[in-house]
Amino acid sequence: MTRAIRNYFVFLGRCGRLAFAGDWRYYTWMGVLSVICLLGLNAYLRQFAQGLIVTGMSDEVSWGVYIANFTFLVGVAAAAVMMVIPAYVYNNEELHDLVIFGELLAVAAILMCLAFVTVDLGRPDRFWHLIPGIGQLNFPASMLSWDVIVLNGYLLLNVHICGYLLYCRYRGRTPAKWFYIPFVFIAIIWAVSIHTVTAFLYVGLGGRSFWNSAIVGPRFLASAFTAGPALMILAIQVVRRVTATSPADEGSRLREGGSVAQNPTSRAATLDDLELLGSRLPEFASAPRELRHSLLAAAMVWEAKAGDVMLRQGDTDNRAFFVLKGRVVVKREEGGRYRITRSLGPGEQFGEISSLAGTPRTGTAVAEEPSLVLSLSADALRKLMKIPRLNKVIRSRMSERLLITDRALMTLRSIVQVSMLINVFLLANEVFKEFYSGNLHVASSKYLFLGLHGHHALVPWIWTAIAFNLTAMVLLVLPVSRSLRWLNVTCVLCIVGIWIEKGMGLVIPGFIPSPLGEMVEYRPSLNETLVCFGIWAFGLLCYTVFLRMSVPILQGRLSKANEGA
Amino acid sequence: MPANPSQSNAGPGSNDSISRRSFLRTSAVFASGLAALAASLEPLRHLKDFPSTEQFLQKYYKELSPAEMAKVLKRIEDEVERQYGLRPQVKDLRPMDGVEFVYALNLTRCIGCRKCVHACVAENNQSREPEIQYIRVLRLPHGSMDMEKAEHNYNPESVPEKGFFYMPVQCQHCKNPPCVKVCPVHATWQETDGITVIDYDWCIGCRYCEAACPYWARRFNFTKPSIPKDRVNLNMAYLGDRPRRQGVMEKCHFCIQRTRAGRYPACLEVCPVGARKFGNILDPNSEVSYILRTKRVFIQLKEELGTSPRFFYYFDV
Repeated sequence: MTRAIRNYFVFLGRCGRLAFAGDWRYYTWMGVLSVICLLGLNAYLRQFAQGLIVTGMSDEVSWGVYIANFTFLVGVAAAAVMMVIPAYVYNNEELHDLVIFGELLAVAAILMCLAFVTVDLGRPDRFWHLIPGIGQLNFPASMLSWDVIVLNGYLLLNVHICGYLLYCRYRGRTPAKWFYIPFVFIAIIWAVSIHTVTAFLYVGLGGRSFWNSAIVGPRFLASAFTAGPALMILAIQVVRRVTATSPADEGSRLREGGSVAQNPTSRAATLDDLELLGSRLPEFASAPRELRHSLLAAAMVWEAKAGDVMLRQGDTDNRAFFVLKGRVVVKREEGGRYRITRSLGPGEQFGEISSLAGTPRTGTAVAEEPSLVLSLSADALRKLMKIPRLNKVIRSRMSERLLITDRALMTLRSIVQVSMLINVFLLANEVFKEFYSGNLHVASSKYLFLGLHGHHALVPWIWTAIAFNLTAMVLLVLPVSRSLRWLNVTCVLCIVGIWIEKGMGLVIPGFIPSPLGEMVEYRPSLNETLVCFGIWAFGLLCYTVFLRMSVPILQGRLSKANEGA
Repeated sequence: MPANPSQSNAGPGSNDSISRRSFLRTSAVFASGLAALAASLEPLRHLKDFPSTEQFLQKYYKELSPAEMAKVLKRIEDEVERQYGLRPQVKDLRPMDGVEFVYALNLTRCIGCRKCVHACVAENNQSREPEIQYIRVLRLPHGSMDMEKAEHNYNPESVPEKGFFYMPVQCQHCKNPPCVKVCPVHATWQETDGITVIDYDWCIGCRYCEAACPYWARRFNFTKPSIPKDRVNLNMAYLGDRPRRQGVMEKCHFCIQRTRAGRYPACLEVCPVGARKFGNILDPNSEVSYILRTKRVFIQLKEELGTSPRFFYYFDV
């Protein structure tokens, strides 16, 4: 027992140390975020001392950007977990690792949500009145009390799932299904519930006709499943880029390397070589004769002496390799030094990720002893991967080392695509109902879309949002968004469009005109804006730290095996 | 931020000097981080309304025992005395049995003079800077109850003006109050005499009730309320006019400190035309009972919302 606890603390300690280690880019990024955080903290404390008078809010417009951001981020948190559905329900292997990034994003988003509601409170010192048991939580009457419960529950669920999976990976254990799969499914339902409950915060107010519409809940979900996966698409590309070039960290042995680089001699592969591979990699033994013959044409065998270099970091050839005999190490160059990231024996593969993804080599492979290596073209590797058992082995090894394929991004793209179509459709429904019936309740919508009685602060915003959403929708249905560059542009349009539509475009006009027909507009103050930036920076800081800890674990660079190394 | 470590060209430098250098660098980063943190905490020095331990731990109104309540009342009296130099009398007035208050307002009589607005502020110790008012008088064109046509900031030479009528709006003390339903901490509730009250010491200031109220009757203390010392009303009730703190909600409470002691609300007393009527609907002989029994038309604002206000508007003819 004490041993288990000790192990866990060693794990936490090593993760914690990682958060403070990195190259200059990491320090710069974290430094900038910390500065913005502190500016936000400073602004918040000014508000804490002087009251909410330092914001742009008033008795007429009593909620502003804080609650708008809160609403948006609840959506992000809900949607991030939706990646769990293709991964676990449809068993899409390529999304498995992404699920952890999704859930970590959900955790960061919930932390930001909690921060946004806390800064919105007039008396944050009385937060304990909300705690069931010692406080007076008005459950189930108040929708806000539902939100308190579902948001905190969601936070716990995701922390449990990510924490458990990562710790298992760290220990090199297979996660016990009963200890996380039920929670994964609960989290899926819970994700829908957090956003529905947040929509009900508004929908339940009979006195605010702008919000008192049954379609708000579905709209919230549709917009969340647009903005959330869009954010994920951008985030995981950043992860992919950073992990592709970032140096190895703690856990890998530092060693001088690359003494005298020599190239191995190569020859055409024979059936005997394939036989040898079959004896080292039992899954290959089942490969049919025809396939073996067709492989021979695309295969070479390299006979390497110790110190021979098989592939170099930064190269863009597309061959993949299987070790037949001997031992090969993969090193990564960093500031003139090499770190060994992996050491491979017979039957193991290397170079397959850049081979399949067509990306530059992320390390240099050197024979440690006289070795025999089978080299395949990317096409031949794809052929091999058509054998189900072999596919599973190769893929599981790849996912240990974090493969984010473009196909996974395209799966996310189709989620964004469908959600955006539904989102625009639902918005159109709302607009029709408001304007066609032409009753007196249309005032808020008029104010939002056209301006009312000479007040039109939100008009440019909402039309920007509509333009962004429509452009994104068109791009998403066109094949052009299959290219990553256009997909990224589209994602940015989605995120900004939805943020405006759902944040400023939903929360603020609900208050204008006031229930007594008064037109009082709202503009966030500088102080309020600084607090918002501070919380966003805090969220990014959290997410960066989460990734900083989890990526090396997923890559196998931080594990129980290399403890104390 | 530390520069990129230049260990690769460290040359002949010994491990010792590297560790000393990295130690110095770490300390410098740590110190500047601390300094930045301290600088960002600076606004705390201007904290005006930090709660004392007693205030922080104070229990919910409905959970205070009589002894605890006596202590709390005394503490509030001490606080007011310290701040305003005068000792108030703070009472915890409970609802009377067999009483349900309703308000009736005669729209034919109201001339829109706003005397009720200011009498209310004077009575209930609202903040004067910024000024919080519980009553909003709307000026509406003849023939319409559409609030979108209401003018809130009318300012003529004299009232009433031709072609308009006036409608004062304050807390409607609904039988089915949306504000009570949405409060996440039970800080606002309906008492047995029909008055919807707020425990100012329990409210967390989320302003959900303000969003829920269809009558725009609730007000928030966006900053620490300020009342001139010579304007403080020393007759105080716990759920009524005792001074509020920064960051909590307040609203009309039918002048609890008066009405639960057998007096009329301040807005009624000041009305120069007798447009305001207040009383016990459970007493068949009360004035409000008579009005609701005999007037052919009376209006509950936004009746379609199902809030069922205890505030009735009526006409003479």
